[in-house]
Amino acid sequence: MKIAIDAMGGDNAPEAVIIGSIQARDEYNLSLVLCGKEIEIKRILEKNTSNFNNIEIINAEDIISNDDKPVLAIRRKKESSMVKALYAVKEGNADAIVSAGSTGALLSGGTLLIGRIKGIERPAIGSLIPNMSGGFCLLIDSGANVDSKPEFLYDFAIMGDIYLKRVMNIKSPRIALANIGVEKSKGNKLTVETYNMLVNSQLKLNFIGNIEARDILKGEADIVICDGFTGNMILKTMEGTVLEIMKGLKEEIMSSMKTKLGGILIKPALKNFKRKFDYSEHGGAPLLGVKAPVIKAHGSSDAKAIKNAIRQAKICGESNVNELIEESIMRR
Amino acid sequence: MFERIRELVAEKVGVEPEDISMETSFTDDLEADSITLFELVMAIEDEFDIEVDDESIEKIETVGDIVRYLEDIII
Repeated sequence: MKIAIDAMGGDNAPEAVIIGSIQARDEYNLSLVLCGKEIEIKRILEKNTSNFNNIEIINAEDIISNDDKPVLAIRRKKESSMVKALYAVKEGNADAIVSAGSTGALLSGGTLLIGRIKGIERPAIGSLIPNMSGGFCLLIDSGANVDSKPEFLYDFAIMGDIYLKRVMNIKSPRIALANIGVEKSKGNKLTVETYNMLVNSQLKLNFIGNIEARDILKGEADIVICDGFTGNMILKTMEGTVLEIMKGLKEEIMSSMKTKLGGILIKPALKNFKRKFDYSEHGGAPLLGVKAPVIKAHGSSDAKAIKNAIRQAKICGESNVNELIEESIMRR
Repeated sequence: MFERIRELVAEKVGVEPEDISMETSFTDDLEADSITLFELVMAIEDEFDIEVDDESIEKIETVGDIVRYLEDIII
């Protein structure tokens, strides 16, 4: 399998992206197409490996930044690393793409250049949120579509179900609908109609009902579906809360000699707790609903996170996730 | 020209061709977002072997806007 990598995308690119790519090639027996500034890529490659097998470089002098308008950037910045990587997939030179660059541009590029799976109106981003039980939950849609219809949310449930079964080996993923209460009549028109569609579905979906945002971290559901606006708010609130609590805790521990001593004693426990929420272990966020695997790695990905995102793209491609999504969408 | 555009719009947006007129608005009537509009533009570019400039895309509001644009540059 061959995977296209946007070598210039992300806060730690190109160094971390290229090192993670080398590690992924060696561990998972992959071929890679690195898209980006050739001179820089070669310099980093030479510094980190003496084996250049199964690595192809496509020169791209431009970079799409987070300030660029996503859709326009895909059309205008044809010489950017992300667009070149997308074209590698579109033209059949690669089977999947991994990027830590602009989420909006990757979403637009995936939809416009790689194309939607037949029957899918809106591709969606699924983010893996670590939970307190040591597992994770796929939050879908976590920001691709700020406005949604019940039909879209129903498709998100189908796509998430297949993704977790095939890529994460979860036998019967528990699907919940993000809502402001657990009763079926709760919420707005969108959630009430989506609830009814999921309850009456002909597909064997393990729909467990509504879930409130505060219960997501408990690990009560494997998939939480919602519109992209809600999903993004949930995701960012959780990220911010965890970061601020850890920061506040550190400040308290460092505030006196007594608390510093206590801090030494609880250090291993805190480290364990922090590891539970380490995004780099879980790879990236899949863009579900497009014809080839598209994985968005976290913007601040280190080499390990990139390696795991590439592994995810590999499993996604090899387990025929997209073909299965198309089949299920036809039967819904 | 209108017939060809109508078919493309119907396919991309997922509505029946009969429901589309020259006055149909992409955002108000078809609830199309920017990605859908660009998908449509790219399909039109392939179909007519042309390149639509971005400034013109930003001005598109109705199906008629596309038809008139194409009539201007093709004829």
